[in-house]
Amino acid sequence: MKILIGLINGMISGATPILLAALGGAYTFYAGVFNIAMEGMLLTGAFFAVLGSYYTGSWLVGILLAVLGALLLALIFILFAVILKTDEFVTGIALNLFAVGATTYMLRKIFSVKGVFSNAGIQPIPSVRIPLIENIPVVGEILSGQNLMVWVAVVATFLSYFLIFHTRFGLRLRAAGYNPARLDSSGVPSSRMRALSLLASGVLCGLGGAFLSLGYVNLFAENMSAGRGWISLAAIILVNGNPLGVALISLLFGFSDGLGLLLQGYRVSAQFTAMVPYVATLIALYFYAARKRQMKSA
Amino acid sequence: MDSNLIEMRHMVKVYPPSVLALDDVSVEFRRGEIHSIVGENGAGKSTLMKVLYGLTHANSGEIWFKGKPVSFREPGEAIRAGIGMVHQEIVLIPEYTVWENIVLGVEPVNWLGKLDRRRARELVRQKIDEFQFNLDPDARVEEISVAARQKVEILTLLYRNVEVLILDEPTAVLTPQEIPQLFAELTRLRDGGHTILFISHRLEEVLELSDRITVMRKGKKVDTVDAASTNRQELARMMVGREVIFTTRRKPQTPGDPVLQVEHLTLREDHGRVRLDNLNFEVREGEIVGVAGVEGNGQFELVNTLMGIQRPTSGRILVRGRDITHCDILERRRMISFVPQDRGKMGASLTASVWENAIMTHHRLNPNLSGWRGILLNTRYAQQFTRQLIDAFSVVVSSPRATFRTLSGGNQQKVIVGRELMLQSDFVLLDQPTRGLDVGSMEYIHDQILRIRAEGRAVLMISADLEEIFLLSDRILVLYRGQLVGDLPVEQTTPQEVGALMLGGHRTSP
Repeated sequence: MKILIGLINGMISGATPILLAALGGAYTFYAGVFNIAMEGMLLTGAFFAVLGSYYTGSWLVGILLAVLGALLLALIFILFAVILKTDEFVTGIALNLFAVGATTYMLRKIFSVKGVFSNAGIQPIPSVRIPLIENIPVVGEILSGQNLMVWVAVVATFLSYFLIFHTRFGLRLRAAGYNPARLDSSGVPSSRMRALSLLASGVLCGLGGAFLSLGYVNLFAENMSAGRGWISLAAIILVNGNPLGVALISLLFGFSDGLGLLLQGYRVSAQFTAMVPYVATLIALYFYAARKRQMKSA
Repeated sequence: MDSNLIEMRHMVKVYPPSVLALDDVSVEFRRGEIHSIVGENGAGKSTLMKVLYGLTHANSGEIWFKGKPVSFREPGEAIRAGIGMVHQEIVLIPEYTVWENIVLGVEPVNWLGKLDRRRARELVRQKIDEFQFNLDPDARVEEISVAARQKVEILTLLYRNVEVLILDEPTAVLTPQEIPQLFAELTRLRDGGHTILFISHRLEEVLELSDRITVMRKGKKVDTVDAASTNRQELARMMVGREVIFTTRRKPQTPGDPVLQVEHLTLREDHGRVRLDNLNFEVREGEIVGVAGVEGNGQFELVNTLMGIQRPTSGRILVRGRDITHCDILERRRMISFVPQDRGKMGASLTASVWENAIMTHHRLNPNLSGWRGILLNTRYAQQFTRQLIDAFSVVVSSPRATFRTLSGGNQQKVIVGRELMLQSDFVLLDQPTRGLDVGSMEYIHDQILRIRAEGRAVLMISADLEEIFLLSDRILVLYRGQLVGDLPVEQTTPQEVGALMLGGHRTSP
C-alpha cells in the first residue's frame, strides 16, 4: 500500500510541471502558433523562482519572478514570430537554446556555483494540508499534503477548458488557429490572439518552472527542465490540445516519472530509470499514430 | 440626386509602378437598387469596389455616402458604416457552426465574457428567417455546400446590419442550378431596402438580375445604363470596345481518320458505384467533340481515365490506333495535349514563374530544353521558348520571370492553352477551357480551338457552358450518370434537347 501511495504521489508531482506547460502550450496550439518554447520557458521559470525565493525569502516572490521570467521569453517570441513574422520553429529553437545558456550563465555569475545551486535559504512552495480529509486512509494521504502548485494546476486545467471552449475569448482564440483570415475580416486582429496565447503560455510555463525548482525539488540545476517542455508538446499533439485530455496524458507521463523513481529503489541503474518518461512518450506516439492510421482506413 | 446613396467622384488609383487601375471614374449608386459593374478582367471593377470598401486607397477622388464624404481606412470601418463586401473566395471556419462563424467578432456575451450561445443562435436564426435564407444555424460549415457557405458570408454582413452589399463574382463558385436561388435572395434583399453592388462579367446574369449596369473598360467608366434598355450585344461592345461575335465561326469541314477511340470504357468504384458505364465514342481529325452534362455525371472520371490519373475497370483507349489504356502519364503526354479545368492546381503552379510553367511537360519531351547530358536545363532556350509562346498566344505579362500568380485569369489560361497546343499533339483534351474568363479572353481561346480544328487535330472538350459547346462542337456527347445518353451532330440538335438529356437522360419527343 505504501508503494502504491508513493507511486500515486510521484505521479502527481511528476505530472504537475508537464501539465502546466502543456496547458500553456494548449493556448498557442489553438491560436495556431507552433510554439516549442515551453522547454525554455520552464527552465527560465525554474531559475527565476529560485532567484526570487532565495533573495527575498518569499516563495510567493519566487513564483512571481518565475512568471515574469517566462513572460520575458514569451515577449521575445511575440516580437519575433508575431510582429516580425520570423519562422516559429526557428524562433522556438533559438529561445530554448537561449534559456539554457542564459540560466547557466546567471547561475555561475549570481550564485558562483557550477551545476547545482542548493541552499537552505531557498523557500519552497508550501504543501496544503486539508484538515479532516487528511485523516481518511489512502485518499487522505493523497489529497492532503500536496504542493500548492498541484492545486493551481488542477484549477488551471478547468479554467483553461472553460476559457477555450465557452467564452468569447476562446471562440476567437480557436478562430485564429482555424482560419486567421476569417478572424481578421470579422474585425478582430488574429495577431492579437496569437500574442495573447503566447502570454498565457508564458504565465503557465512560469508556474510550471516555479514548481520544478521550489516544489518538486528545492534547488536549481543546469538544464533541470530535462525535456519536460518537449514532453508537454507531445501531450498537446496527442490530444489535440484539449485541456482535460492534456491532464490525463500528463498524469500518464507523471506515472512513468514516478515509476522511474520507484525502480531506482529496486537498484535498477539510474540511467535506465531516467529513460522511462521518454520511452513512455515514444510508446504514446506509436499508439497515436496507429490509431490515426486506423481512423483513416475506416 | 438625392436618391443617390453612394457617389464616387473622380476616383484615381495607380498601382505602382505604372498601372492606372482607375482613371477618373465617377459613378453613383442609388438606394435600393441592384447595380452591376461589368468589365473584362483588369478593367478596374474590383479595384473600384475595394476602394469603396477600404481594402485599398485611392490616390485621389471623393466618396460620398448618405450625403457625407467618407474615407474608410479599413473594411471594419466600412462595415460599421453599413457597407459590406462578399469576396470571391469564401473565407469561413469549416470547424465552426454556421452561427459561430456569423457572430465571430461581435459575439453576445454574459458576465465575464462567457459566450451566450442561446442568444447568439437565436439572433442568427432571426436573420435567417427574416431574409428566408433556408440555412441551419447549427450545421457545421464543413458539411454544407458552397452555395450555403456563400449565404453564411452574406448573413455575416447582414448580422452586422449593413445596408450596402458588394458581391464580387458570387456566381463563379456556384453550379448553374444554384444561381437562381441566389438571385431570388438578392432580389428579396433589394426589395427589403438593401442596395446591392454586383461585380460580374457574365452578361446574361447581369441583364437578368440588375436594375442598372455600369460598364468599365481599362480603368475607365464607359457608361451606366438601365438594364431594361440594353442587351448583351451592346454590353459586350462597351466592355471590349468592339463588336463581339456570339454566333459560330465554325467553317464546314469534313473530319478525317479517327484519332481517339474509346471502347467499352467502364469505371467502377470500390463501393460498386459505376462512374463510367460502357462508353463508346471516337474523335476524328479536324473535329471538335463537346461533352455536355451536369457536373458530377462522369466528366471528371472520363478526363482522369483518359489522362491515366485513374485506371478504368475495363475497356480500351486508343490514340492513333495505339492502345494507351495501360500507359503511364508521361507516355500519354507524348500524344495528348491536356488543359485541365483547375488552373491553379493541375494546370499550373501559381508560385512558379511564367517560364517555368510554360516549359512544363516540354522539358521532358523537347530535347532542345535539356542542357548538359540531360541533367541540366537549357535556360536560354527556355526563355526563348517562353517568348515564342507569349507572342504566339498574345499573353500580357511583364516578363517571363514574373510569378504566375500575378497574371490575370485570362492570361494564365492563355499560357496553359499555349503550352499544350505547342506540344503539337494530334489529340487535344480540353476540360472547361474558358471557365471564369471574360468575354475577350474567351473569344481568343475559342479562336485557338477553331484554329487547331482547321489544322486537322482532334479535340475533345468538356464544358459546363452549353453555349460554348454549341458554338464550337461538331458533335455533342451527353453524359448522364456515367452513361453516354446522346451522341448528336450539332446541326441536328438544339440546346433544349441536350438540356433535357443532361437532366433526365431521356430524349424529349419532338
